[in-house]
Amino acid sequence: MTPQPLELEARSSDAELLEATAAGSEAAFAELRGRYRGAVGRICSTIAGPDREDCEQEVFARIWRKAPLYDRRRGSAAGWLLTVARHTALSTHGGRRPPTPVDEELEVEAAEASEVDAFWLVAALGRLPEREREVIELAYYDDLAESAIAKQLRVPLGSVKTWKRRGLNRLATLLGEEAA
Amino acid sequence: MTHEEAFRRLPDLLDDRDDAALLAHVRECADCQRQLFLLGRVDRALRGSAPARRRRRRPWPLFAGAAAAVAAAAAAFAVLLPSGTSAHTMMLRTASGRVVGEATMRHADTRNVSLSLSAHGLPVVRGHVFVLWASDKGSTMEVGRFMADPTGKAQVRFNLPATHAWSHLWVTRAGDAHAMVASSV
Repeated sequence: MTPQPLELEARSSDAELLEATAAGSEAAFAELRGRYRGAVGRICSTIAGPDREDCEQEVFARIWRKAPLYDRRRGSAAGWLLTVARHTALSTHGGRRPPTPVDEELEVEAAEASEVDAFWLVAALGRLPEREREVIELAYYDDLAESAIAKQLRVPLGSVKTWKRRGLNRLATLLGEEAA
Repeated sequence: MTHEEAFRRLPDLLDDRDDAALLAHVRECADCQRQLFLLGRVDRALRGSAPARRRRRRPWPLFAGAAAAVAAAAAAFAVLLPSGTSAHTMMLRTASGRVVGEATMRHADTRNVSLSLSAHGLPVVRGHVFVLWASDKGSTMEVGRFMADPTGKAQVRFNLPATHAWSHLWVTRAGDAHAMVASSV
């Protein structure tokens, strides 16, 4: 295993982190885990309920074990992670667990693009500077106009416009890197 | 307008802002067109996840009291009315995420919830018989059996007791309760 600087891991794409994880980089795995903890947590919370923490542990343990199976030519890292998370959560549903899915193979079908984007988005928002993320969440999730955001944050309207533009452009660039 | 300036302002186009100079640049610039395409995907993902995220975010302080009162009233109904008085729809997906059905639950009377299942593209094998299951936080029940046509299509109705907050549905093959075909989560 080759230790790598944390700064490099933070700039890496999800696909690069998965490939480094496959090669045994614990730093890459830690960065990947930090990015996707929230997204995986939501799936586990929905499926496993009170067993959420155990479910998350199992999902990331499986990602660590299965990372060598990831092939970026066959799809995005977010899509692969979503599939692993969903399969694992369904198969570790605790006492009220439904039957294990028949199509257990990870690569049977790709998840829908919109679902992958939504799963990826949870992780990507966490990579934005705080102000950019805050403005975007207020605009989209609280449906606030830019002037209302400026009022709430007590900052000039121009700053809100700038943070929103930067944040959206940063998200689009991150998405482009994952698709590359 | 420089490329850098246009690239920086591309998100404005998501808000339908009519900027002739910006649009003129985008028409001639492949990089900006690609970025605008990616911005569109980001915008759709944000809008798509907005309803769920709105539920998780705290209400405004000004309305917190009123919101809490409304939530308490809703919770009182939710004890026996798992989906309120309106219809509640769950999508059924295969483990890989493909949608193969839609289940809508609504009240039939004070004791029963009517469940209407519209399935399509179920993976049919010999017999084409499936079993629909439901669970709440503490119990699981077999809702009923149904047949799909050779293309995997089915339209069926069942009744469930209204005394449970049914939150999870799934479909298995008949004769093999561990062979899950689709699930609502």
